[in-house]
Amino acid sequence: MLSESIQSELGEIVGNEHLLTSPEALICYSYDGTFHESLPEAVILPADTAEIAQVLELCNRQRIPVIPRGMASGLAAATVPVDGGLILNTVRLNRLLEIDKANMMATVQAGIITSDLQLEVEKLGLFYPPDPSSVRHSTIGGNIACNAGGPRCLKYGITGDYVMALEVVLADGRILRTGGKAIKNVTGYDLVSLFTGSEGTLGVITEATLKLIALPEAKRTAQAIFPRLEDASKSVNAVLWGGIVPATLELMDETAINAVEDYMQLGLPRDAEAILIIETDGDPADAARDMDVVARICSEGGASEVRIAKTPAESDELWRARRSISGSLGRKRPNKLGEDISVPRSAIPDTIRGIKEISQNRNLPIVIFGHAGDGNLHPNILFDKNDPEEWQRVQAAVADLFGLAVAVGGTLSGEHGVGTLKKPFLESDVGPVAIDVMRSVRHALDPHGILNPGKIFD
Amino acid sequence: MNVKITSPSEFQSAEIVTDRQNPACIRCGLCLATCPVYRTTLRETDSPRGKIALLNAVADDRLEVGQEFSERYYGCLLCGACATICPSGVPLEEIIQAARDDMSLHKLEPERLAQLGRIIAEHHNISGEDNAHRLLWTANMEDEPMALKPRETADVVYFVGCVGSFFPRSYRLPQTMVQLLEKADIDHAVLGGEEWCCGYPLLINGELDQASELIQHNLEAIKSMNPEKVVFTCPSCLHIWNHVYRSVAGEELPFELLHATQLLADLVDAGKLRFRELPAQRVTYHDPCDLGRKEKIFDAPRRVLQAIPGVELVEMRDNRANSHCCGGGGNLETFNAELSYAISDLRLGQAQEVEAKVIASACQQCERTLTEAARRNRVRIRVLDVAELALQALEE
Ligand SMILES: Cc1cc2nc3c(=O)[nH]c(=O)nc-3n(C[C@H](O)[C@H](O)[C@H](O)COP(=O)(O)OP(=O)(O)OC[C@H]3O[C@@H](n4cnc5c(N)ncnc54)[C@H](O)[C@@H]3O)c2cc1C
Repeated sequence: MLSESIQSELGEIVGNEHLLTSPEALICYSYDGTFHESLPEAVILPADTAEIAQVLELCNRQRIPVIPRGMASGLAAATVPVDGGLILNTVRLNRLLEIDKANMMATVQAGIITSDLQLEVEKLGLFYPPDPSSVRHSTIGGNIACNAGGPRCLKYGITGDYVMALEVVLADGRILRTGGKAIKNVTGYDLVSLFTGSEGTLGVITEATLKLIALPEAKRTAQAIFPRLEDASKSVNAVLWGGIVPATLELMDETAINAVEDYMQLGLPRDAEAILIIETDGDPADAARDMDVVARICSEGGASEVRIAKTPAESDELWRARRSISGSLGRKRPNKLGEDISVPRSAIPDTIRGIKEISQNRNLPIVIFGHAGDGNLHPNILFDKNDPEEWQRVQAAVADLFGLAVAVGGTLSGEHGVGTLKKPFLESDVGPVAIDVMRSVRHALDPHGILNPGKIFD
Repeated sequence: MNVKITSPSEFQSAEIVTDRQNPACIRCGLCLATCPVYRTTLRETDSPRGKIALLNAVADDRLEVGQEFSERYYGCLLCGACATICPSGVPLEEIIQAARDDMSLHKLEPERLAQLGRIIAEHHNISGEDNAHRLLWTANMEDEPMALKPRETADVVYFVGCVGSFFPRSYRLPQTMVQLLEKADIDHAVLGGEEWCCGYPLLINGELDQASELIQHNLEAIKSMNPEKVVFTCPSCLHIWNHVYRSVAGEELPFELLHATQLLADLVDAGKLRFRELPAQRVTYHDPCDLGRKEKIFDAPRRVLQAIPGVELVEMRDNRANSHCCGGGGNLETFNAELSYAISDLRLGQAQEVEAKVIASACQQCERTLTEAARRNRVRIRVLDVAELALQALEE
């Protein structure tokens, strides 16, 4: 527990009602979107940058670990306070500060919910494309700290591609403002990129200026069923070779198809090896023409069926299979571990075959889906964490998965980050020199190691 | 006072959460996106995910149940938005209700709510007035309604509910309803002092065990009128009738239970209510949680509104199954009015966003909270019941 005097200092900074120390509060801030949990010593909910700066100055002086937290949808146990300390929740900084129409940029506080920002800019015909599936329950600060991406990333890129400027409170309480609205900017190191993806270990992000683009007018959705995975993979390539970049290219493999069928009975073909959900967008004529080409390529490439939605309702229907995967998992086994390995696109069929082998060898159900355009796969291991022997096998399977990803030329994480969960595997992926450089950077910015200790690497 | 729970079976809600047969919370956090209480307080402790985490801690003996725990569970609208959005299918409504039952059992419910329970037991209504005054709302009507005619039986019994009967600001709704029934030539009656509180406030306070006398009484009172249909303007009364009365009766009820908007929609379809044109107006429909999400009645009220010439129906951002509570749910207002108001303001904001001039709803509680919100915020939006718009369109 934090001492009485530290608690009262913290309470003075933010107001006592925004410092939580009850057992109930500690429990509710002990977890994220994974099954990991560990109690913090206190939770603080500052109102603005100035308060955060004071909190960090105090914690740095007193060597109190500070764990930044957005909406705790993270999937790497990156905001779980593994060594106690103070949870610093940024959700009260949730204002949209400015929409600059002339430069097509928005400036927001870090705690704004991503979809709230999207809704506001869309009212003006603007578009903030990054779309982690958690847009409605994650914050911009969390998205930047994890460099989150989603289905649209093949065409539109990931969070980091849209961050123009940041305000960050450093470990010692100093406030850094870096970047700006100039598109070209090579003045000094690119600190915006440094903080993007830093998982709360280098500073607390308090404000961001984000690039916007024009909202595409129209969208077309199709679902293509492939009896053979190999054909799905080749068709994806053929589409891209054809000069078409679909807005999304989602893949469900046969394990995901069957998981959804078990739960929803949508009438998906259980013997198909892959379903692709494809979306084209742009002006109405372009979106439609692109979709015609995509459909032709898929049919010629071995799809047994290609359905194109004619109405928004039909498009919703086509998405239903993909959207139901998440819900179907919790019904099969009490716990799931969702990985997000990322491999070169051409390695998708080999990787999926490899994952199925791991599933058999370790005797664990693994459901696979992902983003076919960018090679980011989500193998979800289903298990019961109350069974210690099974948990052992899960850990072994995770190691196998990461080994497989690296072996085919890929990487551990395409989206969720390293956090606590992938920490043991980091060096095998990036190598000792990279870790050393990262460690030096971290030490320079946070010499006392108060920011999110125990995460990414030690 | 803290209560140490030594086995989950002393706490039924903890048992449901840990029951391996039920889908488990995977902590994805999607419920935070739709929980009006979380969206207002921004506290994980108020979120559905947090509530489940607390119960898990109780089950594992990591947390003693006390004041704060109780406040978290009573600081909930019971709106059911979390249960609708949960991708894993965690039975959130059942869990939250069971937790309130547990707390009432362990004497941890807020005093204000316990008081309400005592008033209902003594007076058979929520206001504490003499129950014989249930028909005061008829006193200032121009023509004495036919519903007051003494009678043995009726085709339709209109169950008015406590709010419409005892709160002068809500009198307009039963007044409207009986006029509509008259205009449609329906043989109908009200129960007056023989109508007792339906028991819904006890149900949601976790005191359903104290409601059996009320339920038995109402069942008998209505059966004795031998109706074909019982119609409700209050979605909460309808909800408890549908979900509790049926099972208490132990047999198929010999009459149909309908919400007023369902009856009105049927009458419109049958050509028994013909609307004249109202001045052009942009109307949005607010789905009451007990009527929409809980009774799945989404279309009937919209059908009535769409049948009124001059009404342009627009949908708010959160509608139908994803509707946003008005702030008046779960008895929250009784013990945390400020929070309840902040939530109403959010809903009012959604109506402003679609530039509605009228919010039509189908629940006197929603009407009251949203009217208050409009007044507090000095927003010029009228809040009306679907039935009131229907009556206007018959009279123009
Ligand atoms: C159902 C579901 C679907 C998901 N889908 C995707 C997906 O498609 N793509 C994807 O990339 N991710 C996805 N995620 C993972 C997660 O939603 C993202 O990582 C998201 O960016 C986390 O945001 P958050 O606000 O919840 O952050 P948190 O989980 O609270 O925190 C995550 C990390 O960011 C740090 N952090 C948070 N706020 C700040 C801040 N202001 N300053 C500094 N550091 C901060 C924390 O310390 C922690 O290290 C999904 C998660 C779930 C549960």
